[in-house]
Amino acid sequence: MSQLFGILVRRIGISVVVLIGVSMLIFAIARIIPGDPARIALGPNATAEQIAKLRGEMHLDENIVIQYGFFIKDLVSGDLGTSLYTNRPVTLDIAQFLPATLELVFLAGIIMVGLGLPLGILAARFRNKWPDHLVRALALLTVSAPSFVWAVILMLLFAYYLPLFPIAGRLSDIYDIERVTGFLTVDTLIAGNFAAFFDVWHHLILPAVALALSGIGQAARLTRANMVETYEKPYIEMAQAYGFFPHRIARLYAFKPSLIPSLTIIGLDFAAMLGNAFLVEAVFAWPGLSRYGVNVILRKDLNAIMGTVLIIALTFLIVNIIVDLFIAVLNPRIRHSTRVQS
Amino acid sequence: MIGVLRIIVRNPMSLLGLILVGLVVLSALLAPWLAPYPDHNGAVVDFLNNNRAPSWNNLMGTDLVGRDILSRILYGYQISLVLGVIVLAIATPIGTVFGLIAGYRGGWIEVVLMRIVDIFLSIPPLVLAIAMMGVLEPTLTNAMLAVTLMWWPWYARLVYSIARGEREEGYVVAAEVIGASTWHIIFREILPNCLPAIVTKMTLDMGFVIIIASSLSFLGLGVQPPTPDLGSMVAEGARYLPDSWWLTVFPGLSILVAVFGFNLLGDGLREALEVKS
Amino acid sequence: MSLLSIHDLSLSFRGVHGTTEVLHGISLDIAPGEKVALVGESGSGKSVTARIVLGLLQELPSARIQGEVRFEGQDMSGLSRKQLAANRGTEISMIFQDPTSSLNPTFIIERQFAEVIRRRNPSATREDCIRIAAQALADTAIPDVERVLASYPFQLSGGMNQRVMIAMALVNKPKLLIADEPGTALDVTVQAQTLQLMRQLTDDHQAAVFFISHNLGVVREFADRVYVIYRGRIVEDGPTEAIFADPRHAYTRALMNAVPRITGTGLPDIPERSDSFEAPQISHGSAS
Repeated sequence: MSQLFGILVRRIGISVVVLIGVSMLIFAIARIIPGDPARIALGPNATAEQIAKLRGEMHLDENIVIQYGFFIKDLVSGDLGTSLYTNRPVTLDIAQFLPATLELVFLAGIIMVGLGLPLGILAARFRNKWPDHLVRALALLTVSAPSFVWAVILMLLFAYYLPLFPIAGRLSDIYDIERVTGFLTVDTLIAGNFAAFFDVWHHLILPAVALALSGIGQAARLTRANMVETYEKPYIEMAQAYGFFPHRIARLYAFKPSLIPSLTIIGLDFAAMLGNAFLVEAVFAWPGLSRYGVNVILRKDLNAIMGTVLIIALTFLIVNIIVDLFIAVLNPRIRHSTRVQS
Repeated sequence: MIGVLRIIVRNPMSLLGLILVGLVVLSALLAPWLAPYPDHNGAVVDFLNNNRAPSWNNLMGTDLVGRDILSRILYGYQISLVLGVIVLAIATPIGTVFGLIAGYRGGWIEVVLMRIVDIFLSIPPLVLAIAMMGVLEPTLTNAMLAVTLMWWPWYARLVYSIARGEREEGYVVAAEVIGASTWHIIFREILPNCLPAIVTKMTLDMGFVIIIASSLSFLGLGVQPPTPDLGSMVAEGARYLPDSWWLTVFPGLSILVAVFGFNLLGDGLREALEVKS
Repeated sequence: MSLLSIHDLSLSFRGVHGTTEVLHGISLDIAPGEKVALVGESGSGKSVTARIVLGLLQELPSARIQGEVRFEGQDMSGLSRKQLAANRGTEISMIFQDPTSSLNPTFIIERQFAEVIRRRNPSATREDCIRIAAQALADTAIPDVERVLASYPFQLSGGMNQRVMIAMALVNKPKLLIADEPGTALDVTVQAQTLQLMRQLTDDHQAAVFFISHNLGVVREFADRVYVIYRGRIVEDGPTEAIFADPRHAYTRALMNAVPRITGTGLPDIPERSDSFEAPQISHGSAS
């Protein structure tokens, strides 16, 4: 158990370093752009005085290192600055929009793993027969279009032509739920409104599937490839030589070792989904971090851009840490790094 | 080379990929001649004919200002392929050299270089591209810059892992013993062993670059109108679903077809090259 | 009655490029408790023969098998998949070339033993399994049985894993042990010890051994009778001493000349192909 703790500490350390690097990178990029953020924020009618005042507040005339210093100082005290777009603290904006995106992405992640892994196992089990070919072709297809294309297709098919699902938004207008956590799945339960609870899920499914689709394809292909490779390994043959049933071999001998390389890539795919959430949210009018993110980017709202990117990078790093821990649990070789001689 | 080609042609899936890629490339190269309305790739308006459903005049319908969608898709392929080629032409060499040096030299060079790579890799690609496009002017050039910037680390990582493995191999040690210079070892000895993986990745990446680029322009962050871009065409038409479905469906499908082709071809290449080795 | 009887066995694979014939009608017999070796270079077909006996190869869709394989008098071609599997691990067991990679990397040794023991005795408790496994390991002269049981294969050395594999193979008291190039992945001294151990244990258990190898030197130490296989055909067979004293077939002679004298490991380097290798089978008769 202590090895797991050591791994955790080490990964957290690396993540902090990475986050700092990310913040520096975006900070540098944002400050190097042409154009005056203060002027853009205040609009064309701003006076020179107003601009100068805002520039002073934003420390825009100082050395870039000093600017970064101010940024870190504020960050440590939990202040991400004010968004020039919403005129609210960025932290408040993030608190409002992040849960919507997180709900979407987590459901998509569950769908991705819940469908992708079994499909990959199925394909590997029946390799080179028709279920395998079918899964591989479908998986490749899903990976071949950006999420917004799938979002559009799904919406056309299942919300327009077959009106099975709602077209947009998180919740039908007839419900008024108090935002406690921001996670509607939770808040509806807190409010005790089960009709609203189902309504939330009804809204969640189509965008989550659209988001997960290419991830499912990836996960299926990867799992299949890993399992097929594992099936070639000598210990599988030995298990067969001992007459264990194919189901048993698939489950106990083949699955676990092939899971490990899959997990790493699934962690990266999760990151890709965070990026793709932007696209799906646009199609389904989902009030999440992406719409906010795109808007602040178009408005060169520096504070908000920094905040959004940092939060996303943070989420990604946390997911990666969890995946790494999972891998450590599954792979004894990582836990016991000493070799015993006889 | 011929051997690889033969393997690809034998396999129905990769053959399909080859055909699709061929069609896309041909469309892009010959767009001015193939397009029924070649001038529609620019700022042309024809309000009498706008928003028409597919017909014999316009096989894929017309867009909101009356331009023929089929023609614009052909030109859109041009843009997509140019973007992909340039991005890969820049990102691949940079990433490869990075990876080779880090993988072969090891030591603190390896640590520093790969940490840099890790920083880039830790940001979801689309997020980085979007963030960059947000602070730069949304033009084609800047889009290429943004995508290139987030692409090279993947090659670095790939080449690094191969080079690191090859570092201990006999032929490398032999070259060192002879006294070959580092550059010689990296480029003449190790690099050829990385080439199959690199080429496969590049083919698969073409599809991926098309996806990223169209995603960027879908959000309004890439190519600007009136230049035809598949992603922005989908974005424009999204508001008019479901009635004017052709505005989104055809550009969307054309993305799907192109990327599917590259993916099939890339997969076929990977299998073919493994078979060879 | 012989324990294992192969008669005119042919094997071919249907592939993309046509049919490849691997075995051209081989025959061999193993009596209960007998140690029989099948010797040939790689690609001669010895490994697939072993897998046919186990019933593993039959599951490949591209494999075409003709001929008779009888185990304890029963014709295997009439058996279903399940029936074939029933014998594996219980009446017939197999040990492999590279012990460390043949053991499941994610299970500790105790668990792997338990899986095998429960093949014979599905209701064995954990204590039973540990007890039986410990005894089996002790029989292979492994000193620290408890530690080994609690270890993962990658924590143990190759030689140790080899003993574990032998112990596992014999724990269910099989009638036939198939050994596919055992010890090839180990260094010479360890290999010698392992073979000695194998000989002793199989004698104790009265198990027959079907020993597959490319190494004539090793075979001489171990086997009662030898079959020499070349390109899917048996070219010479007979009691070990007879073969070694008087190798008559051209291929057997070439094989013997190629045995590295000093180390005894590595693949023999047969310098030339020769038409004389295609000469018909020479049989020295059986020992009994």
